Amino acid sequence: MKAASLEVRHLTKTFADKVVLDDVSLSVARGEFLVLLGPSGSGKTTLLRCLAGIERADAGEIEIDERLVAGPRTFVTPDKRHLSMVFQDYALWPHLSVRQNVGYALAKWPAPERRRRVDDLLERVGIAPLAERYPNQLSGGEQQRVALARALAADVGLVLFDEPLSNLDADRREQLRIEIATLTREVGVTAVYITHDQGEAFAMADQICVLNHGRLVQSGPPESVYREPVNAFVARFTGLAADLPVEVLCPCGPRGYDVALPFAGDHRVRAHAPVTLAAGVRARLYVRAAGVRLSREHHEGIAGTVRDVAFVGRGYEHVVQVGENEIITKVFSETRHERDSAVRVCFDAASSFVLADAEGADRT
Amino acid sequence: MTTLQIGHSPNRRAPALSGSVLWIILGLLIVAPVGSFLLLATSPRLFGQGPQYFTLRFFSQALSGVTGQGIVNSLWVSLVVATLAVAMATTLAWLVQRTNVYGRRLWPILMWLLFLIPTWMMTLSWVDVLQPYGSAAALGVSTSWLYGEFLGPFGIITVLSIASLPFAYFVVSAGLLGLGSEFEDAARIHGAGRAATLRTVVPMIAPALLSAFAISFAETMSDFGVPFTLAYHSHFPMATYTLFASISTYPANFSVAAVIALVLILTTVPPIVLQSVVTRRRSYATLSGRAREVRRREFSTPARLAVSAAVGLVFVIGLGVPVGGAVLGSFLRNLGIYAAGPVRFSSVYYHQVFAPSIVGKGFAAPLMLSNQLGLIAASATVALALVFARRLMLRSSHWSQRLTDVMLMGSVAVPGVVLGVGYVFFYNQGFLTTHVIDLYKTMPLLVLALVATALPGQTRFFSGPVAQIQPSLTEASRVHGAARWRAWRTTSLPLMSRVMLWGWLLTFAKTISELPISQILYPPSQEPLSVTIQAYLGNFQLGTGTAMTVVGLVEIFVVIAAALGLYRVVTPRGWQRIGWSGVGA
Repeated sequence: MKAASLEVRHLTKTFADKVVLDDVSLSVARGEFLVLLGPSGSGKTTLLRCLAGIERADAGEIEIDERLVAGPRTFVTPDKRHLSMVFQDYALWPHLSVRQNVGYALAKWPAPERRRRVDDLLERVGIAPLAERYPNQLSGGEQQRVALARALAADVGLVLFDEPLSNLDADRREQLRIEIATLTREVGVTAVYITHDQGEAFAMADQICVLNHGRLVQSGPPESVYREPVNAFVARFTGLAADLPVEVLCPCGPRGYDVALPFAGDHRVRAHAPVTLAAGVRARLYVRAAGVRLSREHHEGIAGTVRDVAFVGRGYEHVVQVGENEIITKVFSETRHERDSAVRVCFDAASSFVLADAEGADRT
Repeated sequence: MTTLQIGHSPNRRAPALSGSVLWIILGLLIVAPVGSFLLLATSPRLFGQGPQYFTLRFFSQALSGVTGQGIVNSLWVSLVVATLAVAMATTLAWLVQRTNVYGRRLWPILMWLLFLIPTWMMTLSWVDVLQPYGSAAALGVSTSWLYGEFLGPFGIITVLSIASLPFAYFVVSAGLLGLGSEFEDAARIHGAGRAATLRTVVPMIAPALLSAFAISFAETMSDFGVPFTLAYHSHFPMATYTLFASISTYPANFSVAAVIALVLILTTVPPIVLQSVVTRRRSYATLSGRAREVRRREFSTPARLAVSAAVGLVFVIGLGVPVGGAVLGSFLRNLGIYAAGPVRFSSVYYHQVFAPSIVGKGFAAPLMLSNQLGLIAASATVALALVFARRLMLRSSHWSQRLTDVMLMGSVAVPGVVLGVGYVFFYNQGFLTTHVIDLYKTMPLLVLALVATALPGQTRFFSGPVAQIQPSLTEASRVHGAARWRAWRTTSLPLMSRVMLWGWLLTFAKTISELPISQILYPPSQEPLSVTIQAYLGNFQLGTGTAMTVVGLVEIFVVIAAALGLYRVVTPRGWQRIGWSGVGA
C-alpha cells in the first residue's frame, strides 16, 4: 500500500474541563516522518490516539489519505482507518507467538503470502529465529522489534509510534532508533512519531511539531526548529547550555543584536532573535551547547569558574558558573579543566538567540 | 465507514446509559428484594404486613427470646471462628510460602477442594464419622465421648472454622506473596532483632490480616448450612436459622425476620466494605508490582518432616476425615443404626439413591435439575459479572458507577438466606404478580436468586484479572484492523479464558450445593439436590442422604476435572500460557 497523507484541522479535546488539545492543525505529506515533540502532558499522546481512533476529539477534523475519518458528523473506527501503531508498552498479545503477533493484521491474506510477509519483516528487524517464541520469552528490545514488525507488516499507509523507545536502555534505544528510521522509510509509509526526547526527534524527523499545553507551538524541519526556536519554551525544550539574563544593546545585521550580560562588564555577546527587539529591553540569552566553548585567553568571552567536570569519551563536559549564580552546562572541551579553576566562556552567535524577558519568563 | 451523529457526544452518554441499565439489573436482582424486605422491620404497613407505618416493636421481639439468643450466638461464634481461621490461615500461608515445608503445591489445591465443600455437607460428613454406629465406630474407633461435644458450640465452631479457613488463607496468601523478603532483610541489616523485624513487617500485611478476619467473620455470620443442620439439632439457635424459621412457621413473621436480616447485614456488610476500602487504599499490588525472589526459611530435615506432618494433619482433619468418613459411611449397611453382629458393607444406599423414595422421585431428577440450575446460573453469572467487572474498572466518576461499586461491595456480604426471604417477599407482592410478572414459586425466580447470590462475588473475582488486561492490548487489536468482536475474541477472551472457566466452575459447584435459597425458593415438586438430601436426612434416612452427598461431590469434582481437561485439549497453546496474573502486556 502506498504512503498516506495526513491532515489535521482545528483538533480540540478536553478531559473533564482540562483542555488537552487546543485547536491543533498540521499536515503530513506522503512518506514523510513527522515527530510530535513535547513534555509530559503536552497532549501529544492524546493527539496520536485521536489519529488512531482510540480517542474521539471534541471538535476538528482528521483526514487520512484525503478521506475524512473524524469530523463533526463522522467517526471512523480504528480498524477501518488503515493504519498501524507501535505502542509505548509494546502491547504484544501474550497468548500469541511472535509470528502470530506480527501476522495479526494480515488475517485476510492467503496463508502463503501472509507467511512470506511475516518472514520478511521478522528478517528485516532481525528476530527471525524467535518467530515461534512468546512475548514473555523475549527481552525488552526484542519485544519492541516484534511491535515494530507488527506495525510495518500491516499493509497500511500510516504508522503511528507512541514513544516506542522510552522503556529501553540507552544502547538499545540508539540501535532501535536507527532501525525505526531506516525501516519506516524503506517500507515507504508515512510515520507520526511522538517523543519527549529532543535528540530522538532531531535524529529521526523530516518534520517536527512541538506541542505545549495542548497547543502546537512550532513546526518545521528539525534544522529550523533547532536554529530558530520561536519562543523560550521551544528553545529550552530543544536543549540549551545557557539561559542568562541580558539587556539588548543594539541591532546588528538582520535580526542580529548585541546584548550585555549584567555580570560581564563591557563584554558584548552577539545573538539573533526571531522578533524585533528594542534597545534597552531586558531579555534572556539562550545558547545551544554547540555554541559554547572554553578559552584560556583573557581577552575572550566572560569569566567563569568550573563547578563540575565529566569525562564523556571524546572529551569533557563542564559545568561553569558565571556571575553570582548563573550556571552554564554541557560546555565541551577536549581538554580537562579542573573544578574551581577559572576559565573564559565564549558564545557562538549562530547558536545564541535572544528573546524578550516576558516570553522568557514563560518557563515550562 | 461508520458515521455517527454527534449532537450530544455519544461517547459520553454511552457509559452513563449502560451504567444505568446495569444498575437497574442490580436493583431488580438484589437491591429491591432485600431493601423492601428490610423496610418491614420498621414499616410493615408499607407492604400490608401490619397496621404500623413506623414501629420498633419488632426490634424488641427479635432481640429477645430465641431469636435474640440466635443473634448473640451468631456474633460470638463468628468472632471466635474468624480469630481461629485467621490464626490457622496465617500459619499455613507462612509455612507454604516462606518455608521449605513439603507439599507446597499440594496444600493450595486441597484448600480449593475445602473451599468447594459446603458447610452442610461438611456437617453431615462429620456426623457420619462421629455418631454412634458411624464410620469411626465401623473402624473400631470409639467417638462417643466426642459426639456429644460435637453437637454443640464445639462442633459448630470446628466446622465453621474449617469452612472459613480457605477464605482467610487466600487473602493472607495474597498479602504474603506481595511482601518480598527484602523488607525483612532490610530490617535485619539495619540492626533489628527478630522481634523488631516482626514488628516492622507485620503491619505491612495488616490489611491482609484485617481482610481475612472481615471475610471469615462475614462468611460465618451469613452461613446457613451449619445453623440449619448442626446448630438446629444441637438446640443452639443461630441468626440465619431463626430468620428462616420466622418465615417458615405459620403465621410467618416477616417483620421479625427483617430485623434479624437487618442485624445480619449490619454485621456483615461493614466489615466487607471496610476490607474493600482498606485493600484498595493499601493495595497488595503496590507491594507486588515486581516479582521478588522470596527467601524461604530452611527447616532441618526432622523439623521439616514434623512441620509438614502438622500441615497434613490440618487437611486430614479438615478434609480427609469428613470426606473419607462420608464415603465410608455411605457403604455401611446400617449407618447410625444399632445392628447385632459384625459391621457389614453394602452398596444398598447407592441403589436407593437412584430409586424413588420419600420425595416420590429418584435422585436422578434433583441431580439433573441442580445441574441445569448450575449450568444456567453459572453461565448467566459469568456473563453479567464480566460486564459488571469491566464497568467497575472504567476510570469514570459517574454516579452510576460509584453506586454500582458500593452496591456490589455490599451485596457480596448479603447472606443467601436474606436474599432468599427477600425474594419470597418482594416477588410475591400484589403489584408485581398482578400487573408486571408473576414469578412467585417458579423456577425462573429460583434461577434469578441463584444468579443474584453469585453475581457480587463473581464480579469482584473478575475485577482483578479484568484490571490487569492493559487497555493497549485491545487498542492494538482495533488499530491493527480488528473489528470490535474480533478484538474481543482474539485478545480479551484468550486472556480471560482461564479466569472465566474457574469463575464458571466455582459458580456451578456452589449452585449445585447451594442450600438456603434453594430451600426457600424451590417450586413445588421440583426439589434441587441439596433440598432433596435435606429431606432424606430429615426423614432419618442418613445412609441414603450420605450416598447422595457423595454422588453430588463426586459429580462436582468430575465436572471440574473434565472442564479443566477439556480446556487443555481444545484451547490453543498460547491461551494456556496465560496464568491468573499473567495478563499484562
